[in-house]
Amino acid sequence: MPAVEVIEVKRHYQAGATTVRAVDGVSLTVEKGEFMAIAGPSGSGKTTLLNLIGALDEPTSGTIRIDGVDLAGLSRRQVADLRRDKVGFVFQAYNLIPVLTAAENAEYVLELQRVPRVERRKRISQLFTELGIGDLVDAWPGKMSGGQQQRVAVARAIAALPAVVLADEPTANLDQVTGQALVDMMHRLNHEHGVTFIFSTHDPMVLEKAERVVRLVDGKIASDQRKGETARQIAAEAPAAR
Amino acid sequence: MLGLLTIAWRNVWRNRRRTLISMSAIGLGLALVIIYSGLIARMMGDAKEQLDNAGLGHLEITAKGWRANRSPKLAIDDLDGVVASLPLPPSAEVSARLLSRGLLSSARANQAVEVHGVDWGQERAVALYLREVRQGAVPADDDAQGILVGEQLAERMHLKVGHKLRLMVQRADGEMGAALFRVRGIFHALSPSIGQRRVLISRAAAAELLGADRGAHQIVVQLERAADAAPVAATVRAKLGAELEVLTYAQIYPIFEAMESLVNGAIVVASVFVYFLVGLGILNTMLMSVLERTREFGVMQALGTRPGGVVRLIIAESFWIATLSVVLGLAIGVGVSWVGSRTALLDFSRQMGEGIEFSGAVLSAVFHTELSVRGVLLPALYVYVMALVVALYPAWRVSRLRPVDALRAT
Repeated sequence: MPAVEVIEVKRHYQAGATTVRAVDGVSLTVEKGEFMAIAGPSGSGKTTLLNLIGALDEPTSGTIRIDGVDLAGLSRRQVADLRRDKVGFVFQAYNLIPVLTAAENAEYVLELQRVPRVERRKRISQLFTELGIGDLVDAWPGKMSGGQQQRVAVARAIAALPAVVLADEPTANLDQVTGQALVDMMHRLNHEHGVTFIFSTHDPMVLEKAERVVRLVDGKIASDQRKGETARQIAAEAPAAR
Repeated sequence: MLGLLTIAWRNVWRNRRRTLISMSAIGLGLALVIIYSGLIARMMGDAKEQLDNAGLGHLEITAKGWRANRSPKLAIDDLDGVVASLPLPPSAEVSARLLSRGLLSSARANQAVEVHGVDWGQERAVALYLREVRQGAVPADDDAQGILVGEQLAERMHLKVGHKLRLMVQRADGEMGAALFRVRGIFHALSPSIGQRRVLISRAAAAELLGADRGAHQIVVQLERAADAAPVAATVRAKLGAELEVLTYAQIYPIFEAMESLVNGAIVVASVFVYFLVGLGILNTMLMSVLERTREFGVMQALGTRPGGVVRLIIAESFWIATLSVVLGLAIGVGVSWVGSRTALLDFSRQMGEGIEFSGAVLSAVFHTELSVRGVLLPALYVYVMALVVALYPAWRVSRLRPVDALRAT
């Protein structure tokens, strides 16, 4: 079963008299264990597509399945539970909860899942050690650097072993070295633990690491390229496919 | 990790200054309600105590028609039988009186007076001023010439203990009757009108003077609690039948009831006003706190927090603000009320004298407060209720936000 299935998804909205086609008929399948980037210029619909896959937004039409679960028709509570159990998020601005320590932030989803405290602590401790932030367990977000916060955010995203981790421009607020280290870390998690990652990015360094790159232009997939393959020009093929 | 209440507690202290200002405003409002209610409750209690001070009693039993025309002929003849048959609680005190109006004359002055013929022992239990004899003493039971006068009357007529007086009254047979008495004591009454108009002689002497049998015009019953007056009166009325009239203090002096409903109304109005301000304070704090954290609530929802979880968190924060405010409010309110229950909180005795007489009720010009569990816990409970109610609006607003919109908030 794929981690993510996106079938003919559109997200249109009104901006005054204009209809903005943020995502316009995207179909995409992401298998478990993929390390995929969604690339494209600003306004191409990367973040909107990520929000749709993460069930933060609802499509105007089309079908989205996360780990086999169709998002259509789910109640707000069921959607919240789906996000809790199947999706991890890494935000551009880290978005750690400032009143929680690093470990408490990372434990947040596990607590929502009612994982016993001892098990939570054990899992977070191992994860922090693996991510090289073992000394930050009791640190407050306000006292951490951007790179440290983003590592904690990654720990939070993968702690509950979701079907997919969605990272919206995760390196955009980081310097080159820190960004590189973060992407290496995520790549390692992908290789060693099979965590499925989908990034939105226009950072060449991240794109270079990605094993699959989907390019969006004007809300449509322009190309879908796996490492070692030549870019498949989806937009050019589209009329024939239809 | 943490419970909901811990996260809420930390959130409350994110903006320390705002929290401190809110809890001070709410806490002071609560303290004000506690102190004000305590003052009013004590004032009402004091006013009811005047029944004792003035010897009014909680129940009055008279011959039918006596209260309307106060004829000396309308006496309760079988006094002992009536008193023995009264269905009263064991703690009730009973005193029988022969009453008349008369003219008191000394060598130097004359004064119109109310004459109370009483049995000293029983009367002492229902009239506080008999326990406040400041000069001389209460006459002995067999002292047919002993008379007690109030301080104001003594001053006006230049009386001292031992002075001789002549008391003239209208007898039951319509003739004038007079007798000589000697001042045995001078009492202090909180009510100036009692002090300057009332004189007390023994009931036996009064019967002799009035030419009446040893009956009584009035039986006064003092109960432990004024609130029991109506039910006890109903039982007594049923027992005694239509020949005798049984009235409660509230029927005789409606001012007590009127005052009570007036001050209760004033408490309600003041409390509603204060709680309205308390509610606005909490609402303002919660709205500001919630609106500036919209993005954070978006993150929490993105991580899988259900809409109900967000609502619970905001209500928990409101609970903490209420708790901090209640702790402060109780500390100030209970502290001031405790002091006020032991020493005078307000003292107008210099300006108004010892008592303020108001349609038969005499209020002390020195104000104390009453400290009761109910008077403290109820206002505190209302703060919690108000906090819960006003937190619902910001909580509802945030829970309706779509995560994608909340995350876009700056």
